[in-house]
Amino acid sequence: MSGIQALYFDGKSSDRRSVVLELDPRRGLCVRGDGVDAAWPLPDVRASERIGNSRRRLYFPDGSQCETADNDAVDALFDAPPAARLLHRWESRLGYALAAVAITMAAAWAAVVWGIPALAKQVAFALPVATEKLIGRDALAALDKYVLTPSQLPPERQDALRKLLARMSAGPDGDGYRLELRRGGRVGANALALPAGIIVMTDELVELSKDDRELEAVLAHEIGHLRQRHILRHVLEDSGTALLIAFSLGDLTSATTLAAAAPTVLLQAKFSRDFEREADDYALDYMARRGIPPEKFAAILQRMEEKRQGDKDIPDFLSSHPATRERIERAREHRAP
Amino acid sequence: MEGAKSAVSQPAAAVALRFTGRAGEYFRIWIVNVCLSVITLGIYSPWAKVRRKRYFYGNTLLDDAAFEYLGNPVAILKGRIIVFVIFAAYALLKEIHFLTAIAAVIGVAAAMPWIIQRALQFNARNSTHRNVRFGFKGTKTDVFGVLLLGGLLVPATLGMAYPFYLSAKRRMFVDNSSYGATRFRFSATAGNYYFAALKLSLAFAGFLAGSIVTLGIGLLPLYLLLRAYAEVLFARLAWRNTMLGDVCFDCGWTTGGLFGLYFVNSLGVLFTLGLLLPWAEIRTARYKLERITLQSDSGLGGFLAAAQEEVGAVGDEAGELLGFDFGL
Repeated sequence: MSGIQALYFDGKSSDRRSVVLELDPRRGLCVRGDGVDAAWPLPDVRASERIGNSRRRLYFPDGSQCETADNDAVDALFDAPPAARLLHRWESRLGYALAAVAITMAAAWAAVVWGIPALAKQVAFALPVATEKLIGRDALAALDKYVLTPSQLPPERQDALRKLLARMSAGPDGDGYRLELRRGGRVGANALALPAGIIVMTDELVELSKDDRELEAVLAHEIGHLRQRHILRHVLEDSGTALLIAFSLGDLTSATTLAAAAPTVLLQAKFSRDFEREADDYALDYMARRGIPPEKFAAILQRMEEKRQGDKDIPDFLSSHPATRERIERAREHRAP
Repeated sequence: MEGAKSAVSQPAAAVALRFTGRAGEYFRIWIVNVCLSVITLGIYSPWAKVRRKRYFYGNTLLDDAAFEYLGNPVAILKGRIIVFVIFAAYALLKEIHFLTAIAAVIGVAAAMPWIIQRALQFNARNSTHRNVRFGFKGTKTDVFGVLLLGGLLVPATLGMAYPFYLSAKRRMFVDNSSYGATRFRFSATAGNYYFAALKLSLAFAGFLAGSIVTLGIGLLPLYLLLRAYAEVLFARLAWRNTMLGDVCFDCGWTTGGLFGLYFVNSLGVLFTLGLLLPWAEIRTARYKLERITLQSDSGLGGFLAAAQEEVGAVGDEAGELLGFDFGL
């Protein structure tokens, strides 16, 4: 084998010497040329890992080193650890690289769609109930300031509805739920669960209902959101996704800012759909236990949807109930467990 | 006699950096890095970072000798876990208990000088050329001074002190950096930075006027142009006023060149949903590196190595987030 052309640096100064490396059976690796004549047993010499065709380095025990562009010759001299060899093989072929593109996309998709929601669920249920109550304590105050106005329902009616919720949520983990009635105005016939165990229902929804069992179904749906810790899970999923992306792609500093935000936004719709389904299931099971026909839930959903389509000026931002048609059908098909 | 005479009469030839990285090769390294980082949930990412840096350093040649990056992935992983825990705690805290989150931010801010100093040290000491390490000898107090300027003086003067802050920051960085036992020296004054800022504000006025005249259509390309102009302005100022022993530097980036580079890069990356990111990175490195030139009467040999001790990577991540780097 002919010698390897290399540059020699002694580690004491930046002086450069052109040398030739040769393997001698008795002396080991010989470094010769430009005033250098040294030899080290091959096992004492360490070679840097191969990365593409970038320059390779050989480190000698005395702190000096050689630099060479002759990657193949270095590979022939030194046995790279299996992991390093595998990595280099993977990086050397375009086909393998394309496989990496596919694996990356599949893994990222699985993590964001299944991994993080599952993890968020575990964490949300492990945290005490009080945690959720702390999130967005001022949500109702903000809604009152900008969107909602005081309820115009007669006090007796309001009282009856509050008693209904109290009756429904009586139980070991149901305490503390509170019904707040408001005139919806721009948000129309609507109900929403706030983190602190507050359920807001609008006058318009009460007026839209034909009997209280429909309202009971809606309240059960909102209790479903609260019991399933959906708000805490939502917060955890959002920050979890952003953190995962930032963490795994941390070295693409320039790309992260843009990339971190986008998937969270894109998946928002999917997250809420899953949560709606869970809350629906809770409501339908509750109704089955109380002997309320599932048709009651379907009917109020149907009427809310018709109302929403009728009032074109109602903004979409607060209506987090996508694919209502699908939900109505699920309610109608629901059988008692 | 002959040699001495020629050294006086004609200056030594300038040497440009050379970059030998190739987009196709780096694409494969990059995608394997991304893939392993994603399937290990980020645990591999420090190794990916080191591999990427080693590729770029190893393909950057000065006078036919490559640079080398020696950062230890395990040290970076530790640093990254600390940063991750702090960010995760903050993300959760700000939803749950705002005051505690504020206290955490103040705590991190107080640790900033230390974090940045460590980051600069880690980055410099793990960079070598010709088997001689770079170094950073700035203290926490030096870093604190610069942060104080940026955090208090600049807002207090409504930004009027910003050029002064930029010059102080660069001076702190360059004057404390070394190659082996030799310090870098920075000679630009705050006045130079004020002059550059004046030129930049004129360019900004042009950018505003142009955006209005083109009814907003030209906003994006004009923004890229403005950014390229700003980058060239400050990079030239920084490099041309930096010396290492008798080596002086020059930066030949042009606004047009950098604009064309960024424009084509953005289009390529956008239309391939990020798959051309490695290609853009290689193109940027080639353009920027190959236009940095060094000039020295006595050559690049003879720089003595300095005694070194090891530094952990705790600050490395945070330092990168704050944009402290050699600026290549």
